[in-house]
Order: sequence, then C-alpha cells, then structure tokens
Amino acid sequence: MLADRPITPSSLSVKDLPWQIAWDKEKCALCGRCTAVCPVQAIELGVFRKRLLTPSLDPKQQTGNTFATWYGVRQKTDPAHRCVGCAMCAMVCPNDAILPMRSDEADKLRFHINQGGQPRNRGGRRNMPGGILDRIKFTRISMLTDPALDAGRHEFELRTLLGRVLPPEQNLRFLRENGWIPPVRDIYPLVIGGMSFGALSPNMWEGLQLGVTYLNEELGLPVRICTGEGGCPPRLLRSRFLKYVILQIASGYFGWDEIIHAIPEMKEDPCAIEIKYGQGAKPGDGGLLMWYKVNKLIAAIRGVPAGVSLPSPPTHQTQYSIEESVAKMILSMSMAWGFRVPVYPKISGTSTALAVLNNLTRNPYAGGLAIDGEDGGTGAAYNVSMDHMGHPIASNIRDCYQTLVALGQQNELPLFAGGGVGKSGNLAANAAALIMLGASGVQVGKAIMQAAAGCIGSEADRCNICNIGQCPKGITSQDPRLYRRLDVDDVAQRLVDTVLSFDTELKKIVAPLGRSTSLPIGMSDAVGIDDYHAAKRLDIRFVV
Amino acid sequence: MDAISPPQETSYQLVSGSKDGQRVDSRLLEEQIQELVAEGRRRIKVKAFGQHGIGGRLWRAGNEPVDVLVEGHAGQRLGSLGFPNTRIVLRGPASDDVGWLNAGAHIVIHGNAANGVANGMAQGRIYIAGSIGARGMTMTKNNPRFAPPELWVLGSAGDYFGEFMAGGVAVICGIDPQNPDNVLGHRPCVGMVGGKVFFRGPFKDFSRTDAKLEEIGDADWQWLCDHLAYFLADIERPDLAGVLTKRLDWRMLRALSPHERSGRRLRPVSAFRKEVWESELGRGGLVGDLTDIDRSPIPVIVSGDLRRWVPVWENGKYAAPCEASCPAGIPVQARWALVRQGKIDEAVDLALSYTPFPATVCGYLCPNLCMAACIKHSALMAPVDVSQLGRASIAARTPEMPPADDHRIAVIGGGPAGLSVAWQLRRSGHRPVVLDAAEQLGGKMTAAIPESRIPPEVLEAELERLRSTVDHQRLEKPLVPADVDRLKKAYDFIVVAVGAGRPRSLPVPGAERMVTALDFLAKAKAGTFRPGRRVVIVGAGNVGCDVATEARRLGAEEITLIDVQEPASFGKERAAAEVAGAKFRWPVFTREVTEDGLITSEGELLAADTVVVSIGDSPDLSFLPASVAVDRGFVKVDEHFQTSDPKIFAIGDAVRPGLITDAIGAGRRAAAAIDDILAGRRPEGAARPMIDKERVSLAYFDPRIVAYEDVNQCGDQCASCGNCRDCGICVAVCPQAAIERVETADGGFRYQAAPERCIGCGFCAGACPCGIWALVPNTPLG
Repeated sequence: MLADRPITPSSLSVKDLPWQIAWDKEKCALCGRCTAVCPVQAIELGVFRKRLLTPSLDPKQQTGNTFATWYGVRQKTDPAHRCVGCAMCAMVCPNDAILPMRSDEADKLRFHINQGGQPRNRGGRRNMPGGILDRIKFTRISMLTDPALDAGRHEFELRTLLGRVLPPEQNLRFLRENGWIPPVRDIYPLVIGGMSFGALSPNMWEGLQLGVTYLNEELGLPVRICTGEGGCPPRLLRSRFLKYVILQIASGYFGWDEIIHAIPEMKEDPCAIEIKYGQGAKPGDGGLLMWYKVNKLIAAIRGVPAGVSLPSPPTHQTQYSIEESVAKMILSMSMAWGFRVPVYPKISGTSTALAVLNNLTRNPYAGGLAIDGEDGGTGAAYNVSMDHMGHPIASNIRDCYQTLVALGQQNELPLFAGGGVGKSGNLAANAAALIMLGASGVQVGKAIMQAAAGCIGSEADRCNICNIGQCPKGITSQDPRLYRRLDVDDVAQRLVDTVLSFDTELKKIVAPLGRSTSLPIGMSDAVGIDDYHAAKRLDIRFVV
Repeated sequence: MDAISPPQETSYQLVSGSKDGQRVDSRLLEEQIQELVAEGRRRIKVKAFGQHGIGGRLWRAGNEPVDVLVEGHAGQRLGSLGFPNTRIVLRGPASDDVGWLNAGAHIVIHGNAANGVANGMAQGRIYIAGSIGARGMTMTKNNPRFAPPELWVLGSAGDYFGEFMAGGVAVICGIDPQNPDNVLGHRPCVGMVGGKVFFRGPFKDFSRTDAKLEEIGDADWQWLCDHLAYFLADIERPDLAGVLTKRLDWRMLRALSPHERSGRRLRPVSAFRKEVWESELGRGGLVGDLTDIDRSPIPVIVSGDLRRWVPVWENGKYAAPCEASCPAGIPVQARWALVRQGKIDEAVDLALSYTPFPATVCGYLCPNLCMAACIKHSALMAPVDVSQLGRASIAARTPEMPPADDHRIAVIGGGPAGLSVAWQLRRSGHRPVVLDAAEQLGGKMTAAIPESRIPPEVLEAELERLRSTVDHQRLEKPLVPADVDRLKKAYDFIVVAVGAGRPRSLPVPGAERMVTALDFLAKAKAGTFRPGRRVVIVGAGNVGCDVATEARRLGAEEITLIDVQEPASFGKERAAAEVAGAKFRWPVFTREVTEDGLITSEGELLAADTVVVSIGDSPDLSFLPASVAVDRGFVKVDEHFQTSDPKIFAIGDAVRPGLITDAIGAGRRAAAAIDDILAGRRPEGAARPMIDKERVSLAYFDPRIVAYEDVNQCGDQCASCGNCRDCGICVAVCPQAAIERVETADGGFRYQAAPERCIGCGFCAGACPCGIWALVPNTPLG
C-alpha cells in the first residue's frame, strides 16, 4: 500500500489472507503466464526497489547509497483480488517458480468478506474435510461363511431399482383394477446428481452426458444422470439418449416449457423425474443464476430472455404442505408421461426427513426419495448455508431405512443418498457404506466434477469460485474463453474411467459378502465403525 | 518323452480302503501306502473307498518309479502333491481336484473327472479319458526348472476353465463333449497369464482381456501330434488318432503377454462422439442447433480474441493529482513532460493557457495545492517543486491573441478573478472589458499583499501583460443596480468579480478601535502605517499571518494572533508569521477592545498598540439587480458560475471566499462557459477524473531526494501520472514482445499491443511508471 494511506479495519496484509503466493525470484522467467491465467487477478507484475549500501569506514570516502529497480510477481491484498488458492499459476509456470500456500493460521479475511453488509457468497462445498462415511469399514469379510466371490473373476450385475416396487398382491390388484403398475427402472447404483446446464458450462454438461451415454451403450453400465434445474437441450430431449437422463423440476421451473413441447416428439421416456425440494449444500435456500451467466445459449435452453438474472426460490410457490406438495407434484409429473416414468422427490438432508418419508410410503405414485446431505456441492450459496446448515447424510438415510423396515416397506420405496459421496476420494467405499446403511443407490456430483473435469476446489476453501463465472477449469463458466479449456471428449473419458474403477472397487467391497447381483442394501451387519456413539446412532457394529 | 519307466516289480501289493466292512480313515490308508513304499514296494493297488489324496507324496521311493493302480471310488484330490516318480491310474471316474498341486505325477483317469482337475499343478501329466467339471487347469504353473505340466481331456471342459492359469498345456479333444455347443465351458481363461490351451470343437467365448486365439504353428502341431499318441495309448483309445489329427479341427488359446494386454480395445470416446453421439443428435452435438460458437479445446495461455484480459493504453484519460487539485486546472505534469523534452519555453508558456498569473501565483502567492497533492507524498518523497517553474514563468511569452469579435463582456472587478475571466475571454477571441474603481488592476494582489510575499516587479510584469491585452475602464463612482441593467443591455454578458471588500468585524464594545486587516495591509504596503510595539490580531488565518509579518516589518515586537478555534493558517503565510515571532493563542474570545488593548472573555488584558481584526471579508453586493439571487451574503451560482440571471456570471470571493488560484480557476471556467454559450454549445461539465494513485509506480524514484536542484531535475523526478513519459519500459517488459511504439499522423505517438502476440498478462500495466496501461476484460464472446 502507499505509505501515505491510513489503514482501515479491513486493510489486510498478505499474512491475513487465506492463500499466500510463494514466488521464487531466482526461478521466475517473467513470462507473464501466471498473471495471465489467474482467474481473479490476484497477482500482478510489481516494480520493486532495491537499496544497496556500500559502506566505507574511511571518512574521506562516502558510504555509497544506490537504488536499483527490479520486477517480480506481487500478490494483491484487497478482498476482491484475494488469491483463491487455485494454483493455476503453478500449473502454467514453466519454471515452478510460483505456488499458493495455505496460511498457517486462520485467515483474517473471513472477518472482512462482508463489506457493504453482504455476507460471503461462494461456490463449492462445506469447508470441513473428512466425515463419518470415510470412517465406516466393511468388517464382514466372509471368505468362507457367505461363499465369497472374486471381484476380478466373477460376473457381477450390480443394479438397483428406481421406482415404486409394490408388494405382489398390491401389484396384482393394481393391474387388475387399473391395468397399471408403477414403473420401475433397473439402473446402476451410481447416479450423477443434478447439476444444471447453466451452473455447468456447455462443454462440461455435454461431456458428462456423452460419458453417460458411452457407459450405457459401449459398456452396458446403466448409469443415469440428472439434469439439474435448468432445462435440457432440445436435441437431447428428442434423442434416444433421453432414457439415460433423469429430468429435474425445481422451484424455478426453468426449461419446462421446452420439455413439454418436446414430449410429443420424444423417442424414449426419460429415466425418471426428480422433483427438487432442497439441496444439501444450501438447505432452505434457492438458486440464483446471475445475469452475466445467462447468455444466448443458456437463455434458449431455459426458455428465458438472455441477460436477466434467474432466481429459483427456496420453495415451490404453490405448495403449502407435505401432503399437498408431494401429492400434486408427483401426480402432475406422472401424468406428463402417462404414468410410465418414475417420479420421486429430492430433499436436502434434514431432521424432518422422516415426515416426508412417511408421506411417501402412503403414496403409491411416489417412486423413491432422494436425500442430499450437508456435504453436497453447489455453484453458488451463502457461506453460512454451506458451512453451517444441513444434515449429515449417514444418519438421515439410516433413520429413513429403519423406518421403512419398521413399516415392512424397505424393498418398496428406494432411497437415494447424496451429499459428500466420494468427498475424500473414496467414492466406492462411501457409496457402499450408504448402501449398507439402507440406500438403494447414491447421487454423486462433486466427486465427479473433481474426477471427470479436474475441479480443484477443496474443503480447505481452495478455489470455490464457481459462483463468479471464472472457473479456471471451465467447469462452471459460461465464458468460452474458459470453458473451451475443457475438452468434451476428455470429460467423457474421465467419467468412463471413474465409473469403471468405481465398479471394480464396489465389486471388491461386495464380493466378500457373496453378492454379485443384488446389492447389499441395508446389510448393516457388514459395516462397523470405531466410534462408539456413531455406531450406536447408526445401529451398526462398534469395532476397535 | 520322459515317461516314467515301469517299476521292476511285476506284481501289485494290494491295499484296501475298507476293513471289516468299514471304511478305513484316509489317514490310516495313507500310512499303509507310505509304509509299503518305505518297505520298497513299487507296485501298489488300492481298493479305494473315497479316501482323500490317494497316490500323492510317494517321495520315499526316491527316484525309483512307483505305480499306483486305483480301483473303486477314489476320493478328492487323487494324486495331490504328486511326486515325479509316481504313475497313478484310476480305473473309473474321479472326484474333485485330481492332481491338486501336482509336482510331477503322471495321472490317468479312465472316466470323467469332477471339478478342479489340475488345480495348482506345476509339473506332471494328467490324462482324462472323459470330460472334466468346473475350474479345471486353474492356477497352474510353469517352473522353468521343469517341463511344463499337461492336462489332456478327451471330452470337454466345464465352466471357468483355465482361471488364473499361469503355465502348462491343456488339451481339450472334444470327443463326446458334455455340452456339444461349447467344449470350453462358460467364461474360460479369466485371469490367464501363461500357457496354452489346444482345443477341438465349438466354444462360446473366453476372456479376451486375458487370452487370444492363435494359429497353431508347425512346432506346436508337431508337439500336439507326438504327445497325443502317448495320451491315446494311456487311455487305451489309439483308434482316435485319425480323428484327432485333423489339423484344421484344432484351435489354440494362449495367454496375452503383459504388453498385449495393456491396450484396451474399447472404442475411443472421440470416435463414439462422431459415430454415435452426433449421428443421433446431429452435427455439433448437444447444442449444435442452438449455437454455432466454437467450443473446441483451447490452451490455457492464449492470445488474440481468446485472451480474457486486454491491455489498453490510456494516455491522458485521467488527470494527474497535481492537475486535479489545481483550481486553475493547470496540467502541471504536462509542463514537466515538456521540460523533459527540452522544451522549457513551451513548458513555461503552457501556463498562460490556464492563468494570466503563472509567475505571481504559481511562483509566489499560491500555496501550491498541486505540490500538496503530488503523488510522491504517497511514498513520503518530496513533491515535485512547481514553484521553480512558476517563478520561471515570468519569462512566458504573451501568445498572439486572436482578433476580437463582437461579443462584449463586462467584467466588474479587476482582481485575480476578473482578470482571469477577461484573459480567457480575450484568448477565446471575445472582447472583455474590465470595470474597476481602483487605479491599478490586480485587486488585493496589488493593494494588500505584502511585497515580502510577491516581488513587485513580477506582479507588475504580469499586470502589464494584461493591460496590453485587456481593456480596462475605471469606474468613477460605485455601481448601482441601474448601472448593471444598462451594462446588461450594452454587453452580451456581465461577470461579477468584485471580490469581498467589506471586512467583517466583531460585535464587541470598542470594535471601532480595531483596524481591519485589508486596511492595515494596504496602508502597510503604501508605507503609511505605524502599528506600534505591540500588535494583537484577531483571527489567525493566512491574512492574519500576513498582517503579523507586515507588522513585524513595520517594527512591532510583540505580535499575538488569537482565534476562537485552532488557527486555519498554513503554508508560507503561517511560516512567515512564525518567523516574525508571532504568538498564536486559541481558543480566545474577545470581550472588549479598549485603548489599552484587547480584553478576553476571561478578563485578561492583551496589551496592544494596534488591534487588527482579520476574521474575513464579505462582498458588497448592493449594486446587483434583484434578478441575481444571493445566499448568506454571497452570489448564488451554478457549476458554470452562472447566476440566477442568465446574463450574469459571478466568480471569486463574491461567490465564496477562497485562494487566489480558486478565483483564477473560477475565471477560466466561467470564461469557458461563456465561450460555449456564445458558440451555441452546452457548457462542458467537470474536468477529467483524477487517476487512481495505485496505478502509478513510485519504485522508479529515489526516495532520498529531498530537494530538487533545477527544473530539469523536477522534470526527471515527476511521476507523470496518467501522462505517458514515452520511456518504452512497456516495450521492454512485455514477455511476448507484443508492444510497439507508433508515430501518429499529428506528430505524436502511441503505444499499442499486437493482439496476436499479447497474452493479456498485464505486465505492461504493472511496470508502467505513469499508470497509462490498464488491463481490461476482453469483449464478451458468445
């Protein structure tokens, strides 16, 4: 800062920032790549003055005092240009001369990132590493007791059901009386969770869709992907690939007129309809796509004019109670495809999940329940929502499953668990843990972004700038200058690799249980945890 | 063939697996067989009753061959851990795991064998005269010290044949197979890493990630034919030799080498996109119908249109702090730029475009707000000394005036404000006339400001320049409203610049004893006043300081300035007063002025020969017509100094008290507004905004320079905020060599960055000493 400036309470030094740029003058070639690539202009070329003293003890000779000027990379300290730790500078540096380092103490920026009374808004995930899912272990290694299988040798068909499975007598009655039974889909237990066209860049969205299609058509893995709330490109709606897609409807209802117009021309029914009531990363909050992200393409797909902000309110506007809301939304959506498509709600993890579940058990049209826990990700939300609100998925899904067991309906209403699955890179282990706690399958978003597109966000508050449209990997930007960094084919390939390796790992986990075709849903005697209270709460084995 | 030669012994020693109608335990039968071998028996016939592992582990015979003939029901693992000296023949079908972990035994089964034949076999031969169950030839090895193990099956293999097979040869002859459609069973060769499987007959599939079908070479075929003969001989079916030696009936599977299995034979995603994705969705994929924007991959570091940021050369877009703070709007930095170019005369002359008093005011009277604002303070450096340039301005050449037009403007008042507006109007080619009651032009500068502050010859020279340029009419008597109405008719515009000539006084007893500051200064300058030894000055502003300085010059010894608040005086005036020994006291309130001096509200007597009141002046506006609105004693004007009467402007102290330079600036801006109106233009608004000081780089300057030797050093040390100094550092610092200097048609220059080379790093903006380059977002795409 300039020497004549007073400091303000919000004047910060580099030390106060969460990320500090370590720059090596010796190695730097002054090539300009780091400053060119920085998504937030946190660094710039600085002009520095070096003072050189050449002392002399001889009174006849004066002590020399000269100044030299040199150039280097300087970090800015104002909040708008704070380093976000993405390390794109390190990525492009030809000489390894630059690297953002996490501060060795809690940053001071957090106390000042509310200028003008605006609380912090950001993208990403809860800034809290780890979680209970990573601590759950698979303790039933029944090499002799359960006829163990060999994951590398045996044939597996790991599938799960999405849709209402009525008891046989009820099914028969339905068929006799209505000529109808609820539609059920036989799908892979890993579903790519809803991320909208708009929140994601066109290249990211297409890459995921392409990868899912490849998994289905080339590898026979019936992986499904949810559109998120932002409509669906008309071409996809009219293609046979639609059967791999779960269409989401949420409180903003974006893109639904385009979907309605496409229904008469659809070659295939979609896999399912997800009614989004909540999102784990920002429970109780809605969405907002800022006007500068709403370019012509987004506008066309969402059915809105370009250049306007698109709010999704926290709640559906015409719904007032669980009974009313769930019943009428499920019926409306079922009617759209002649009751041929499963319809299920998705809620954020909450201590009130059982109330929703109880309601669904009495509604034969309800095709399942998806619960999104607190560790989910988002493109934009208030920091307080992300860091402090929501419910962990493990106990939420467990409570729901045990309620279904008590009702004798555990095989009838599938539960899908999301929010932090694969958060620490343990995708298959987390998924298997949730399945054994009672989930029929998992919804995965963030882990896929990281694996398939190289998202660099982290729980150490790294990057997490999805909300400002400057994603350095091109994942959540609508700017072609950024999203063209992402190759559609590469995303698809990485998704394929990720799911294939997930598949092998999941087999490794279930093979010792002797399972090759039916998932061990709710097989909680196969898991344990070294935390007594967690074990009690989840009703699983306490193992030490 | 290294077949085991038969033992010398010709008769078999019988061992029975049953005794007294009871089955003998496997352990006991094993003990009996081992004992016989230990006793030297080499031909043993076993009547089996399902005992485990018969015929294995006969190493006690050493290298001597041992024949074991088994009749009845052999149990599991016949010949397990078999030794190379052993030959086992089973007359009938076999249970599971024949030849398990076989380390060399030759085993012949005259019938089918159940699951797990040859599991883990490393050496030896197993001949099956029928078919085998699941998981035959699994986990087999090939130890380079020995010949590879062999499994010969006359019929077919069951499911999961050859899993994790790591060596050896399996031959499936396909005679009377259990499943005529598939002699290899379901999913053979999973995890196979070594060895070969010869087979004859139809098959479904095998693990293609582990094994491959290959043509049978001549050497392999020869081996197969040779060894087939031994097999057929042992199973007593030589009749099949003809059927089984039709080369075209045979096929061979072998394990893939690690090198071969590295590549997966999946369709590349790019091909899938072209062949499947786009053929279903159409060209351009998912959104090809909605946009034609290029979405193909690009590198992270890019140039041209793909840059996120582009540099812009914003020379002159912003005012330097000096210019922005100068009420007269003098672009000081531009003058220093001329000095650097050696155009010292032009630098001096430039000021006359902004003020008629560059020497008097900039050089002497102005507190130099430009220097106070100088960016170099930001780094605690000495501000560039503009007064040097100001004093040099005495040499400024009077520019050629344009011919005067018919537009006549009456300027009432010949002080700095009036002379400034008149000077500017004349420069614009109009015909101003200054009306003033004083004999001398110059207002307070001439009448009241001490000569210690301004050398008379400097002021006189600049006034002379004005006299030669601008008409002056001396007013005989004070103006009245009717005069102004007349002037309105005779002139296009009237500019009121009468200053503030009516001193304010204090409503205290004895106020009439006080001398007003203006009176004091005028008389002092004229040399007609003797203030005495003790002087008290009420009001310690800059005018009060001037009084103090003059009082000292006129012999006063005890000078006290009092004020009701912290004195507002500053700069040269304050310094001079302090040098004169004046004492400043505050807060002090006056109760009364007596012949002894001033009595404060506390009752203290400040003894004084002269009490001067210097608490400001207000304008005498009694001559203004009613059409001119007045607010609290001053004329109300808009941003262009136009009064509520559109024909009348007002500037200077008549509008608000200020510095001389404020008055000069007001004159210039009022003149510009009048010129605009006369030309039919809407008067222009505010000047260009001041540059963000953070853009200017002070690291280029030596902070130890505390004073500037001459104008040249001033020019060098000026940061040239917002004004390109043409140093070319940007050209040198650009890592892409994208920046070039271009001469413009008007003789000037500009710098520009070539888009095809620039990567938008902003180094130009970072390095620019003057803050000219800015990095701005590129035009949005898509």
